[in-house]
Amino acid sequence: MGEFNVISTRAPRLDAAAKATGKAKYADDFSMPGMLHGAILQSPIAHGKILNIDISRARRLPGVKAVMTAKEAGLVKYGVSPARYDETLYAYEKVRYVGDEVAAVAAVDLATALEALQLIKVDYEELPAVFDMFEAMKEGAPLIHDEFPGNLTAEVHQEFGDTEAAMAECDLIVDHTLLNKRQDAAFIEPHCCLANFDLDGKLTLQTSTQVPHYVMRTVAMVLRIPVGNVRVVKPYVGGGFGPKAEATPLEMSAALLARETGKPVKMNYSREQVFLHSRARHQFYAEMSLGVKKDGTMVAVRNKAVLDGGAYTSFGIATVYYSGSLLGGPYKLKAMKYDGMRAYTNKPACGAQRGHGGVIHRAAFEQLVDRTAQQLGLDPLEMRLKNIMATGDVTINELDMSSLGMKECLESVRDGSGWYKKKGKLPKGKGIGSACGFFVSGAGYPIYRSDTYHATVMVKLSEDGGIVNILSGSAEIGQGSDTMMAMIAAEALGVPLDCVRVVSGDTDLTVDLGAYSSRQTLMTGHAVKEAAEHARAQVVEVLADMMKCDPASITIREGKLLFDGGPGKFDEIRKTYMKEHRGWTDPPSGDYLTFKEAARMAYLAKGTIVGTGKYKPPKLGGSYKGAAVGTSPAYGCSAQVVEVTVDMETGEVTVDAMTDAHDCGRAINRTQVEGQMQGSLSMGLGECLFEEVKFDSRGRILNASLGEYKIPTALDMPNVNTIIVESNEPKGPFGAKEVGEGAIMPTIPAILNAIYDATGVRITELPVSPERLYMGMKAKKKEK
Amino acid sequence: MLLPRFEYHEPTTLEEALKLLSELGGNAKVLAGGTDLLVRMKQKIDRPAHVISLARIPGLKEVTPRNGHGISVGAGASAAALSRHELLWDRFTPLASASSRLGSPLIRNRATIGGNLVNARPAADMPPACMVLNATVKLKSRSDERDVPVAEFFRGPGETVIEPNELMVSVNMETPPPWTGGAYFKLAARKSLEISLVNVAALITLKSSNGAIVDAKIALGAVAPTPVRAYAAEQVLIGNKPSDKLFQKAGETGVGMCSPITDHRGTMEYRCMMIEVLTKRCLSMALESARSWKPLK
Amino acid sequence: MKRIIQLTVNGELAEVAVDPNRTLLQVLREDLGLTGTKHGCGLGDCGACTVILDGQPVNSCLVLAVQANGSDVLTIEGLAENGKLHPLQQAFVEKGAIQCGFCSPGMILSAKALLDQNPKPTEKDIRMALSGNLCRCTGYQKIVEAVQAAANGEYMQGGDS
Repeated sequence: MGEFNVISTRAPRLDAAAKATGKAKYADDFSMPGMLHGAILQSPIAHGKILNIDISRARRLPGVKAVMTAKEAGLVKYGVSPARYDETLYAYEKVRYVGDEVAAVAAVDLATALEALQLIKVDYEELPAVFDMFEAMKEGAPLIHDEFPGNLTAEVHQEFGDTEAAMAECDLIVDHTLLNKRQDAAFIEPHCCLANFDLDGKLTLQTSTQVPHYVMRTVAMVLRIPVGNVRVVKPYVGGGFGPKAEATPLEMSAALLARETGKPVKMNYSREQVFLHSRARHQFYAEMSLGVKKDGTMVAVRNKAVLDGGAYTSFGIATVYYSGSLLGGPYKLKAMKYDGMRAYTNKPACGAQRGHGGVIHRAAFEQLVDRTAQQLGLDPLEMRLKNIMATGDVTINELDMSSLGMKECLESVRDGSGWYKKKGKLPKGKGIGSACGFFVSGAGYPIYRSDTYHATVMVKLSEDGGIVNILSGSAEIGQGSDTMMAMIAAEALGVPLDCVRVVSGDTDLTVDLGAYSSRQTLMTGHAVKEAAEHARAQVVEVLADMMKCDPASITIREGKLLFDGGPGKFDEIRKTYMKEHRGWTDPPSGDYLTFKEAARMAYLAKGTIVGTGKYKPPKLGGSYKGAAVGTSPAYGCSAQVVEVTVDMETGEVTVDAMTDAHDCGRAINRTQVEGQMQGSLSMGLGECLFEEVKFDSRGRILNASLGEYKIPTALDMPNVNTIIVESNEPKGPFGAKEVGEGAIMPTIPAILNAIYDATGVRITELPVSPERLYMGMKAKKKEK
Repeated sequence: MLLPRFEYHEPTTLEEALKLLSELGGNAKVLAGGTDLLVRMKQKIDRPAHVISLARIPGLKEVTPRNGHGISVGAGASAAALSRHELLWDRFTPLASASSRLGSPLIRNRATIGGNLVNARPAADMPPACMVLNATVKLKSRSDERDVPVAEFFRGPGETVIEPNELMVSVNMETPPPWTGGAYFKLAARKSLEISLVNVAALITLKSSNGAIVDAKIALGAVAPTPVRAYAAEQVLIGNKPSDKLFQKAGETGVGMCSPITDHRGTMEYRCMMIEVLTKRCLSMALESARSWKPLK
Repeated sequence: MKRIIQLTVNGELAEVAVDPNRTLLQVLREDLGLTGTKHGCGLGDCGACTVILDGQPVNSCLVLAVQANGSDVLTIEGLAENGKLHPLQQAFVEKGAIQCGFCSPGMILSAKALLDQNPKPTEKDIRMALSGNLCRCTGYQKIVEAVQAAANGEYMQGGDS
């Protein structure tokens, strides 16, 4: 069995049956009596002054209950990082992208609300717009935000060690560039929310979000509702992946309209509006140089990033820092220089998406490693093995790898894929490629400057029945955090999993920063473990007293109590329990005292047993500017080997096989860890081969649908040989750390390196559409 | 996404439907599978005042072989039904193949051949297949009936010769002669749920199992405002023994027939290159199919 | 002008007055309270709205409710019997084929339609049958494994909900 009773198994998810039967309710599945429907008016132009808004006709349309613009909503600025609160709920003075929110309407039904939008007359003075990040930063480009000259949201310059000197020592310096396009998270459930005020002015906002806590704060701040009167409740969520990790104009509008009308207001984004809202992966331009010794030892890196951030900052500051900080590992370096710029453009705002700012720069770097290996005549996988860090190493930018199973990951995929049998031996048109990556296990600091705990949890034992109730503000969005919490609590308490219930995603319960930066297993899990142990201690204290023994001699295992390893003499306790349950026909039986009985005794002695747990990372990171971003209590890491077949005549790429090894510290639930790995790889494959958000010359999205924005179907994704590596992270609950975001990191470069192996074409622009690869092969033929 | 309001009609006989069409004509759209019309209505591209459903009209879905010398496919037959039809796969392969590649399994259960032809999207799957099979479509109006060869059916993107008062009731094809084989090829990004970037249908007739090509038909989609027959490429083939080199030449010739556009899905240059590649491939597949021709039991 | 339609939903006769411009998806969710069928895109691109209509899996967002008059509809709510999960549902639960769950109702119904027609599908058959149902969470692997397991009879009718 192993050292654990509950964790490390393949227990089915707590919510799987509800989801399999259609019983699980998502935001749009809720209704309330008298509910109104809201809709948002969005700018049809990419950049313009608002001269006038006339809502009078809309207001008069029968069935319309409220029309709000910036005038009614107010002008409290918000955003994600307090250092860049650059948005207002509705545009005032100007609109900055096609889709910018200008007004909102609540009406008796959606059709009426949409009709009302048509009746709102907005006079715009169109302004020149800029859509390219390089153009946006040039002298004379249209200015998008007055406070940010040169349309520069943020600029980062960091240097660790002396890069010039280090490069001078190198035998070889290799360059590479990579450009991707904006992505969309394409979660299958579009955003939706339902806002309702009660008669005491308390708001309950049900919303499909990853971050109830941040939504609560933003809504309270923007609408000036006392924060204690805002309750955000997350129902089941149909995927998040990053874009749902911030408060949306949808949520704020619903709350505003609910307050104005005194009625519940439901609002949805259509699929098209999901694209318009975006807050998804930025466009990145990566330009980097790697300096090495001729034996393959990595010495120094010069890294440049230019990001297209769209019209507002969103997560963008963290993004542009991550593009630099996440190259500090997983290889040992003597020096690293990073220059990053994030530009505003007149397009939807970009935010955080799985792997955040690290994904494209990781892809570029891993291609650079392959390029370098080739020039040195080294096997690229071997070159990686030569340079990787190990547990206990600290990166040049002061990220502490308290556990790092990088070597094991690389060796597993090397052996699991049959690397040596294939590398260099495949026929033309077939290729094999490898890559590595790593990621934070929760950001070291909350998004807003604060001393807040990142997670607090209550574990309440039922007064009767021995049920363990976990109460947490954390967000189950499909990744399995509820089940993770239950398994950790069950393990810590010594009870079977089916004794545990989870209530989560409600800001009235506890504080939890939510599902982003791959944090919940390590951080919330830590708090759950602490709370469960706290509850356990209280039960044990009472039992020790009743059994007149040392609390340390009491073990709870599989819901049974052992005293000094044996059953102990608990007859009196059982008698007491049965006396309290006269009439029951299924009394506790068996040779051991049950947890149910013990918990009952504890309640009788102490009242309701509540364990509390909390987690806040220690002060992490260096003292340099921006050091906070990239810090984390721990880092997950992974390696991948991918095999492709390229149709040499059309440029079509088929991914035939993927071997993936991820170090998650400890797999709390093996099935769920594998699921996150496979899902990450599927997203990486899509971003590499198919996905891009396309714009026309006026800043309108050309492919705002799931038909034209192409995510992999069941026919496009191969099976993954999924290998779990466990390095037992000392700072993680039971050794656990992240998997949800880190697993995507090596995917794009492994595919790109395999494509190079198959065709000799080094990709510098994504996605690798058949046409792009075809043209690359054609150009290569010409060269020869 | 909401559908705009419309008046809904559900005729139970063909006569009733044709009467409605004659009265409402230009203000009505015919609803068959709905996988195109309802999408366009939700996107506010089409806003018909009237929608006439074919759901209750008997006799439009059947696939009826005509005693060894042809087949009549009801315009209301679904892509799924066509993709599972044994005789279609055997003798009218390009159509069965094209049907099997349309959209997704869910779409195929609703999308009809009539809809696919009448909607006339340049990248539609079935038109090139119907063209190489020399299909004719039967159009009925209240007072009249006519058969139009598919080759003359398409006018431009979304435009065909069908009149507002006409309904397509069937697609009819003669069984190709012995030693005929066909194929359909679709180039797209993903392997499902895709609109073709370029598609090709081909039908080759050999003199005998090892013989020369006596007839060839090639049709291309998504590379011109309508699907096009590559007549010049066909001429390259006729009278010659099949070979890779011959097919390559046919492919190169096919490019000349086309006027693909550059749009966000792909450039003209790439589409032209792919016409060449796909034509060659489709011909090879058709050849293989022709060589394994067997008489029906 | 509303029409009265009658359709059998999950074995029960339902009668509803609907405007012609309402889709089957809307009527199932809003009029009949069967919220298990999901709206993901409204255009037939994602399959989250899959129901089995007269024995065939279809995108219910592209079927007018009035077109379903007289038809037989199976939604995800109709799969479990007497509180016992259908073998496919059990397989999805046990094999980890469900993460966020939003695609699951549609995915399970497409799988059911496949197994009804082809009780011993190959992996390719399964992937083809599910190729109209998008999933962003799982990468499809455990979904395919679940369908295979159900087809192999690993989960007999009668598991607990």
